Amino acid sequence: MGTYLNKIRIYYLMEKIIQLQNINFSYGENKTIDNVSLDIGKGVYGLLGPNGAGKTTLMKLLLGFLIPSSGSGRVLDFDIATGRKEVRKRIGYMPENDCLMPGMDGVTLTAYLGELSGMPRQEAMKRAHEVLYYVGLEESRYRKVETYSSGMKQRLKLAQALVHDPALLFLDEPSSGMDPKGRREMLELIKDIAGKESMNIIISTHLLPDVEYTCRQVIILNNGQVAAERDVSSVSTDRFNRFNIKIQGETERFLNKLQSLNCTISENDRGLYSILLPKEQSPRNLFKIALESHVQIRHFQQSQTTLEDTFVSAVGVSNDH
Amino acid sequence: MTIREKGYHHWDGQLKDTGIDWLPIFFNGIKTVFKKKYAKVLFGLTVSPFLVFLVGIYVSTKPELKMLTKLVRLLNTDAEFFNVFFTNNFLTFMLVILGLFFGSGLISGDIKFNAFPLYFSRPMNRKDYIFGKLSVIMFYFLLFTLVPGILLYIFKFIFTGKISIDPQVLLGLIFLPLLVTLFLASVILMISSLSGNAKYAQIITFLLYIFSNSIALILVKIFKSDYFYLISIENIIKQMGSFMFNVRAAFYYPPWLSVVTVIVFISCAFLVLYYRIGKAEAQIETGN
Repeated sequence: MGTYLNKIRIYYLMEKIIQLQNINFSYGENKTIDNVSLDIGKGVYGLLGPNGAGKTTLMKLLLGFLIPSSGSGRVLDFDIATGRKEVRKRIGYMPENDCLMPGMDGVTLTAYLGELSGMPRQEAMKRAHEVLYYVGLEESRYRKVETYSSGMKQRLKLAQALVHDPALLFLDEPSSGMDPKGRREMLELIKDIAGKESMNIIISTHLLPDVEYTCRQVIILNNGQVAAERDVSSVSTDRFNRFNIKIQGETERFLNKLQSLNCTISENDRGLYSILLPKEQSPRNLFKIALESHVQIRHFQQSQTTLEDTFVSAVGVSNDH
Repeated sequence: MTIREKGYHHWDGQLKDTGIDWLPIFFNGIKTVFKKKYAKVLFGLTVSPFLVFLVGIYVSTKPELKMLTKLVRLLNTDAEFFNVFFTNNFLTFMLVILGLFFGSGLISGDIKFNAFPLYFSRPMNRKDYIFGKLSVIMFYFLLFTLVPGILLYIFKFIFTGKISIDPQVLLGLIFLPLLVTLFLASVILMISSLSGNAKYAQIITFLLYIFSNSIALILVKIFKSDYFYLISIENIIKQMGSFMFNVRAAFYYPPWLSVVTVIVFISCAFLVLYYRIGKAEAQIETGN
């Protein structure tokens, strides 16, 4: 119990779990991380970004698989370049892709990975039973892992990431390959884990609803840079107002004028335009521009901004996530 | 109340810091190999040279068994005796078979099933990973070379009733099996790291063993030079034995050259392993 309290004391008092300063990384000529500076505090963070945004590379840097070409970073107060073993001792990582060790049953694999993290053998085995029970694999824990379904493999990956009770958990597409019921359960588990004071989580995912459901903060990456960093709960009252409008007339002129006001516009298949209007702009401007452009507004409705809107406005694309 | 009902709860233990992070790989590997089908049969076959040599020691120390003296003439000196024990073709062959049986899949299995993210998200670097895997093969190889060698040495004292220690023999007894097992283990692991298919790794290793011997023999016949025996796994081990136990060289080239060549082979194998595992570590898939 004392150790657990120590753990809470150390990481709960820590304001910043991850600190990155001017991190750069290139694969040859291709700069994948471009001068990223980030402070990640306690709680659950979502990492979003379109393909090639640099999420993969950033995760690799945080996990210590890659060394930055310049800049510095600390994870749980350990240097990401020189303290890789110390970082890995304190993190849990749930990879996206299938990964297992054939010939082992679920409980042996989980206990083995606990031992590799530094747990004493007997405690690793005891804890493996506990976490497998927790993730819902109690019935299948003695089955060979290669016979698991993809949903069970996801649960197993979560169990092995939790077995040594890390202070920081990296979850990579945690609900991928799961049926709706399994996905809901996985998100519930994440939410439950996130409720623990000394557990911090970073979720990299393509599924915005997953982030909205589980995360407190979201970091959006684009072209190797941090495009946005938001509090998920404040997204709806954030920098934009969202309006759905239907128009008739000189559409192109109207839309061009809106773009000059830094609006993000997308059109759905029913001819309805979704417009993200910056907060500093009054909705009256829409009507003013419509009048100037000889456009009739046939439908006008304000709707709530979502995380997707934030993503779209930060990344500047609507369908690449 | 079940754990799930009461939610996630923390582990209140403390992580160990033994400084030997690869130890769990070693223990797990040993257990896994021992559980394999046919393991006991192979172990039985591999231990048979030890039993034969044990009988040999007994015969050589009993004057009443003079009619068998011719059979055990090679036991005249300890150096010759242990040289023959460690370098006999049957033992080398069985070590290669054991290596194929449990060593070829050690890394290729991890490649095939993408186990690297699981290893390298733990406090473990590629050196730990390689040492862990190597230790599994080394353990079993030494179990059938170094351990029987030491036992034979002890039994000789018991049967003769007198203790006489020859430093040359003692050093050979320790360092020859170490070098031979490190050589075979590093080559087997290197080949295992080249493919995600354990079967391919087994076939390549076996072909390497067979062809290294036959090609060396052909080249020696063509060029009339024993130096070509340096590329033969069986024969380079024989020449190393001559060097370690300071007995008559098996082939006409300086015995020390065999030791140097083996060290070069081991170094190259480790370089390839280090590169391959480093590549696997850097290519771990994390998101998209």
